[in-house]
Amino acid sequence: MKDKKILRVILIYFLSILFAFLVISIIVSIFGYNVIKVLKTLLTTSFKTTFGFQETIKKTIPLIFTTYAYTIPFMIKFFNIGGWGQMLFGGTITAVVGLTLPYLGINFPSYIMIPLLIVTGILAGGFFGLIAGFLAAKFDINPIISTIMLNFVAVQFLNFIATNPIYRDPFEGHPITLPLPKSGTLGFIYGVPVSIIFAIISIIFVYVLIKKTKLGYEITAIGHNLDAAQKFGINFQKTILTTFFIAGALAGLGGTFEVINIHKKLIEGFAQTSGAQYGIFGVLTGLIVAGDPVGVPIAAFLMSVLLVGADALQRTMQIPVEMVFLSQALIVLFIVTFRERFLRRT
Amino acid sequence: MNNEIFVELKNIRKVFGSVVALDDVNFSVLKGEIHGLLGENGAGKSTLMNILYGLYSPDKGEIYIEGNKVKINSPYDSIKLGIGMVHQVSTLVPQFNAIENIILGTSEDKYRLKIEEEREKIKNISKDLGLEFPLDVKVKDLSAGLKQKIEIVRAIYRGAKLLILDEPTTSLVESEFKDLLRTLRSLVKKGVTIIFITHKMREVLEACDRVTILRRGKVQGTLDKEDMTTDNIVKMMFIEKDIKVTESALPKVELPESKKSPKPILELKDVSVESSERSVGLKNISFELYGGEILGVAAVSGNGEKDLAEIIIYPKNLNRGEIYVDGEKINGLSTLQVFSKGVFYTPEDRIKEGILPDGNLKENILLGHHSEDRFLNNKTFIKWDEVRITTVDIIKKFNVYAPSEEIIIRRLSGGNIQKVIMGRAFVNPIKLLVTHNPTSGLDVSTVEFIFEKLVETRGSGSAVLWIGEDLDELMILSDRIAVLYKGELQGIFNRDEFDKYKIGLLMIGGQR
Repeated sequence: MKDKKILRVILIYFLSILFAFLVISIIVSIFGYNVIKVLKTLLTTSFKTTFGFQETIKKTIPLIFTTYAYTIPFMIKFFNIGGWGQMLFGGTITAVVGLTLPYLGINFPSYIMIPLLIVTGILAGGFFGLIAGFLAAKFDINPIISTIMLNFVAVQFLNFIATNPIYRDPFEGHPITLPLPKSGTLGFIYGVPVSIIFAIISIIFVYVLIKKTKLGYEITAIGHNLDAAQKFGINFQKTILTTFFIAGALAGLGGTFEVINIHKKLIEGFAQTSGAQYGIFGVLTGLIVAGDPVGVPIAAFLMSVLLVGADALQRTMQIPVEMVFLSQALIVLFIVTFRERFLRRT
Repeated sequence: MNNEIFVELKNIRKVFGSVVALDDVNFSVLKGEIHGLLGENGAGKSTLMNILYGLYSPDKGEIYIEGNKVKINSPYDSIKLGIGMVHQVSTLVPQFNAIENIILGTSEDKYRLKIEEEREKIKNISKDLGLEFPLDVKVKDLSAGLKQKIEIVRAIYRGAKLLILDEPTTSLVESEFKDLLRTLRSLVKKGVTIIFITHKMREVLEACDRVTILRRGKVQGTLDKEDMTTDNIVKMMFIEKDIKVTESALPKVELPESKKSPKPILELKDVSVESSERSVGLKNISFELYGGEILGVAAVSGNGEKDLAEIIIYPKNLNRGEIYVDGEKINGLSTLQVFSKGVFYTPEDRIKEGILPDGNLKENILLGHHSEDRFLNNKTFIKWDEVRITTVDIIKKFNVYAPSEEIIIRRLSGGNIQKVIMGRAFVNPIKLLVTHNPTSGLDVSTVEFIFEKLVETRGSGSAVLWIGEDLDELMILSDRIAVLYKGELQGIFNRDEFDKYKIGLLMIGGQR
């Protein structure tokens, strides 16, 4: 019985992607592009060149974090739309700590600096997630609303720091902070960010948390049946707080790695460009995995393949990236629809 | 009232799974009468009315309205046939006012609501019936009694000639009940026929012209006004006409001698729980329950029996009074702390409150035991192997028919689900089992199995608090029976004092 269900799930995903590409093919052919070439670019750029693959991994890492940020609260039926803000806040506070220490004349070696910044990102993101969790647990405020609002807070806070005279790089035209001290940054191995190690650790952490721990069991139980879980002693309010903390912490960690590994400074534009992309696509990818944390890394990787393909389309064929966003949105829509239609319980 | 039949249901049969909810039911209502429909929970009152209203379709049987055979597939059909229903819980839109609620869904104009035009019409109907309520106030700000009046007017506005009232007095205060009685009388005068579902004796005697009594899905009989005495009604409700049926429908389990513990395992002292919108609460409940004893709690649903179970497993909600388990005060403890004192619980609604439907048997057995050291490493990591061993053991001991411990519990039958829920209570040795309707809707062999487990628990020196809706079942297995009505303890009977008539009368609010 279980095998049959898995087959059906695979079929649903396959059909959804097929349908989405079909629609995209029709649209691009109306615009007069070569459909085969478009699809080929979209799907194979990540695997054709080393650079393409490196770029894909670079996008996969933050996407894993923001997808977890959506997925873990979704397991207890809460929508965390705030992965974006939690990531920005984590990244911003990381930059603040990383820049303030040298400003005060304190220079830690990197084996202290890096763990310190990572913990900073976890706590800052966790705190930002906890705000929404607290509002939900205490005042029954829907996290959809609070997290969307908090996203704007995070964007403005990032702008505030990036334009702040203490941190701002006076020689840059755009609001960008001074570079972080070398001891506070991570490098690349074979063109892949070192933060991949931490992403892998996070994947293992989430898996163990959900499948092997008491907290994971409580989260799963609440997701299955809140009434029964509460009747048998699971504290719902406490679990809301913990899940939002963990969600925010993971998103915040994603922000930290963007700052210390990719940009090595805080860029104002991060909030709107790649930051927004990871935030929004974290929700989108989260919708695809539908509350199953095990599927997150794979889904995040496939999403990144499409994102990299989209960049390539724009560069080589002058097809706007929005076209690919359209196909991603269509994939999600088809999956959600097919799942409702074919997997709904009777 | 004349003797013309308005509605007639013939040979209605309805089966849910392996449970016969209605068996060959014949029921007819005369034009312009108030017809009471009486019975215990699970007797089939609601099922029968839901069939008439089109919410269920019968497996067998026919419906006639004014002599014509009709087919009712949905409430849409029944409304067209002139049947209106006022449900137990308000179905009004809280954000709308009375007029908006009444005309909701009736407008034939696609683009415009004729609120002002309909205002007069609604005013006239309510004046005619003597049902006054504010027309422009949002319904959420009105009392339960006013909401009910709006629902009645809504049904009449939509042309109801037959009005079904499902336990209309549940959320009413005394003066509102008097109002309702007057309303019903004036409705009858206007030629409306009324079916009044209830399980309160007094209401039947005061309100109804005739009464039909259902028991275990069968009609026990219909009484005319002159035959409607407390005596007759209680006998028909609780004491079976056809004795053979009782014997075949109930399992035979002997209650052997057992040794009562010297000290009580559970003691309630003056326990009160405030009433709320969804329950009547509890008022000054005191009793003692000893080891080696089964205390049955007999109550018609909605009389505080759920609060009683819940306050014992979640004493944080206790307003007043004290609860002791084995001599230790448990006031203010959390559920898991209570469980750690050797208490366990099986809830009333096995699917909604008892299981994780999409979880496997291991995950379901762990529920409530998930904080115990025996299943945890370092208080954090679950020992799934240990859980698996326990689950396999429970499957065996409780005869759960399941291919493996990995199966999703939703795929099991109701009886097997109940066995898992029961089994979960015996993962650890327990002192007190609180069990709420453990047998409802189960087939006889499963009921028998559960009975055996309860007797076994009692035999091992543990105490059982069994909250039940079926007096026959309670009388077979209980050492004592406590009766709850409107959140108050009506009395506790010893086994040699068991008397269906006396206990049944107290359950429906009669005086001793």
